[in-house]
Amino acid sequence: MERHAYAKAGEYTLADLMTVAAGREVMDNEVVFAGTGMPMIAIMLAQKTHAPNLKLIFEAGTFDGRPIVTPTSVGDPRCEGGASRASGLCEAFAIAQRGYVDLGFLGGSEVDEYGNVNTTVIGDYLNPDLRLTGSGGDPDINSFARRTVFIMVHEARRFTRNVSYITSPGWRVKKWPSGEWVHRRELYGRAFRGGPSAVISTAGVFRFDDVTGRMYLDSYHPGKTPEEIRGLCQFDLDVSRTSGETAPPTYEELHIIHEVLDREEIFLPKPRKV
Amino acid sequence: MSSKSKRITLKEAAEIIRDGTLLTFSGFTIWRRPCALVLELIRQKRRNLHLVEVNGGPHSEFLIGAGCVDVWESCWIGHELYGKYGANLSRKVKNKEIICEDYSHAEMGFRFLAAASGMPFLPTQTSLGTDIHNPEYDMLGRAGLRNGKNPKIARKKYETMQDPFFGDGEHVLVPAARVDVAVLSVQQVGEEGTVRIGGQFFTDPEICRAADTTIVVAEEIVPEETLRREPRLNDIPGFQVDHIVECAYGAHPTGMFGHYDVDGDFIRNFYMQTRTQEGFDEFAREWIFGTDHDAYLSKLGVARLLNLQANRALNFSTRVKRGHK
Repeated sequence: MERHAYAKAGEYTLADLMTVAAGREVMDNEVVFAGTGMPMIAIMLAQKTHAPNLKLIFEAGTFDGRPIVTPTSVGDPRCEGGASRASGLCEAFAIAQRGYVDLGFLGGSEVDEYGNVNTTVIGDYLNPDLRLTGSGGDPDINSFARRTVFIMVHEARRFTRNVSYITSPGWRVKKWPSGEWVHRRELYGRAFRGGPSAVISTAGVFRFDDVTGRMYLDSYHPGKTPEEIRGLCQFDLDVSRTSGETAPPTYEELHIIHEVLDREEIFLPKPRKV
Repeated sequence: MSSKSKRITLKEAAEIIRDGTLLTFSGFTIWRRPCALVLELIRQKRRNLHLVEVNGGPHSEFLIGAGCVDVWESCWIGHELYGKYGANLSRKVKNKEIICEDYSHAEMGFRFLAAASGMPFLPTQTSLGTDIHNPEYDMLGRAGLRNGKNPKIARKKYETMQDPFFGDGEHVLVPAARVDVAVLSVQQVGEEGTVRIGGQFFTDPEICRAADTTIVVAEEIVPEETLRREPRLNDIPGFQVDHIVECAYGAHPTGMFGHYDVDGDFIRNFYMQTRTQEGFDEFAREWIFGTDHDAYLSKLGVARLLNLQANRALNFSTRVKRGHK
């Protein structure tokens, strides 16, 4: 079996597909800030394939780690494997604010067409239906990194016209105290470095128009259609720029995910052979 | 203060934290949280606590579920892999039984850094354009608590200003997180209070200095001179520490780098069981009330604690089951 050949349907899971799609967003030599879960696997996969020189930062305070065992969270001692420094949060976020971070990998519960993400509350903030985890470092990384990639479950209620609460800034944001919508370039001024660059959902890969900041469909996962995905968004999704199907994982990538990085199946259960 | 006078018991440490205290804790999500002391606070039926945290975890969920907390200021609460969010906080926010004030993670870190440096605030450009800065959502203000009566509660949630020095545009000024008491859970403390933390130190040095009173709960109290042989490895000088407590497994069910791993099963069960108040009350009857830390450890049992014990070379357990396999 050619290790660089693409795996066939049934030989990989949707989570595997999302992980490799996320990993392909990383370029070599970049400084990458990752959250817990699938983002960790995606980044460590990139480190073991096309981006061996990436520098990994976890917000709890480890820099340039080369963990030999996959951590269960960013505060895990396993993050310190091979790190050049073990420090703390103030230093990690100061480094991000200083402009060292190229790429951030984050999650979210809801996203709007401008890439504003909610991880705080579902419903009216003052009378919430459900309180979620809260922001964590999501807004901070998304404020400071040159690009951010979100990994999300795709449901119509999550790809919404208006998120319940803007936890993390997208391309069009609110300028307080009035709440007027402005392009983030205007609000961030000299601190502007970029913004959300991709959303990788269970349905496809989405990107944002350089000028309008609006989301469009880049690729759809095998088995999905652009029209079907349009129906899974409450806003008017642009599907005219689609590049085709999301490339599946290669056998080598699957091997690294399941036999090297996540042998314990902490984040990614193995594909079940039919 | 003589060195010996710093050493107190867990029960005495909990007595220092009075009703209404502004309180913060060491650690990060499910790592190095002072859970043994938190459970003792619940036993002592502490009320009206105001938690200011860089982020929350199982320890916050214990206190919140037990009804000890009136105000929670932070950015995140949950149990990582072992529970999606803070079910007790979520329930109490929905029922309006608690005031919850949101900042971002960097903002919370910088708030502690400001307090630790004796500054009233710090400027930052994080989170511009988010609802964290929506003036309608100043929850302490809405509750009438920003009236200056409590000198540690800022009169505003935040302020904005244009950089007057370099013309670098809009900045947010976040108020110092000044607290009454900080409780740290660490690996080692010397008899005079010098703290040596294994692994990432998170925001522990900052929260220690942000507080009027610092209590350090350590896995072991060690001779001060052994720590002073290699000062580079120490994180907090002893004069910043008021009280020390020796308490093995004091962070369980959260993890302690070099000593024991996170008890994922315990946390997952806690999360699932305490999604209702009745479930929490049952948990508290079983694990908190009518017991003490020694009895709690006995109830966990030797086999469970050995399973969590860290490999001395790797600093984490090679036995704990983390995933499906």
